[in-house]
Amino acid sequence: MAAPSLLRGGWSRLVSGFLGLGGGWARPPARALRQVVEVTEGSTTVIEGKIIEDVKTPTPPNPSGQCPICRWNLKHKYNYEDVLLLSQFIRSDGGMLPRRITGLCLEEHKKVAVCVQMAHRAGLLPNHRPLLPEGHVSKKPKLNRYLTRWSVKSVKPIWKRGPKWCRVPFRVGHPLLMDNINYGQKPVYLNH
Amino acid sequence: MSVIRLQGKHKPMYHALSDCGDHVVIINTRHIAFSGNKWEQKVYSSHSGYPGGLKQVTATQLHLKDPTAVVKLAIYRMLPKNLHRRTMMQRLHLFPEDVIPEDIRNNLVEELAQPRRIPKRLDEYTQEEIDAFPMLWTPPKNYRKM
Repeated sequence: MAAPSLLRGGWSRLVSGFLGLGGGWARPPARALRQVVEVTEGSTTVIEGKIIEDVKTPTPPNPSGQCPICRWNLKHKYNYEDVLLLSQFIRSDGGMLPRRITGLCLEEHKKVAVCVQMAHRAGLLPNHRPLLPEGHVSKKPKLNRYLTRWSVKSVKPIWKRGPKWCRVPFRVGHPLLMDNINYGQKPVYLNH
Repeated sequence: MSVIRLQGKHKPMYHALSDCGDHVVIINTRHIAFSGNKWEQKVYSSHSGYPGGLKQVTATQLHLKDPTAVVKLAIYRMLPKNLHRRTMMQRLHLFPEDVIPEDIRNNLVEELAQPRRIPKRLDEYTQEEIDAFPMLWTPPKNYRKM
């Protein structure tokens, strides 16, 4: 009859669901996120965790590259303003993801880390802040900045800049980003 | 940009002796941005002439005290160092916010574009733009996304 077969089918699916989720219930989940799907058939409710396989990324223009940036031909083309690109390599609290997970080569990982730092200091990633305990309001003045090489707290004022021939320059940007393609006529100045 | 217009060098009939500079109005000076770490590193110093009268103030402190001072000093130091400089500074009008007096607002002729492109924040991008941007890397199967 239809009902017992359905029930048996439901039971086997429930058992497989149990086996699949048994590890997840006993200890904290150590596997990838799954989509929870709940199916009710009469008196049987099947809750299943399905792996989402529908991530259809378009093929990169250079599939023979070693790291994602080489594969998409973006080697010297990104800067601190390209937040859409940088946000793919950061955690939700603003830190960088490890290199063994993202697959970036060392120099690109460092460049992305530097760009992410500059984007944070420019205020371009407002939702990737570390969690503050109470409703703590920061007393620091909110000043607009961009291309900051060093952290705001660590920099000391330059009280004496010296004469023109041995001036102490203001460091802007980062030397790792010197090789970026510049479509304007002015070169990238790192010392202001 | 404003220095060129204060001197009158944007006009083909420019001459240093003919007083052909324009008035320049700059608004939102409170929201000015410095590149690099200049907010902490740049020091504005002044000496009153008396012994022990050296006052050295960082750009942050000066900006908090007077939001127009940074722009004013920057333009003052870019103008040619002659007696016309003071008159050109009198023709410069700085306002920390959007609020402009009525008589100046009615006399405005041309609005100049910002010289630098302001980058968009992540929450200023529309969802379609975020979706149109492809994922560059696929997370491994066992990876638990934070």
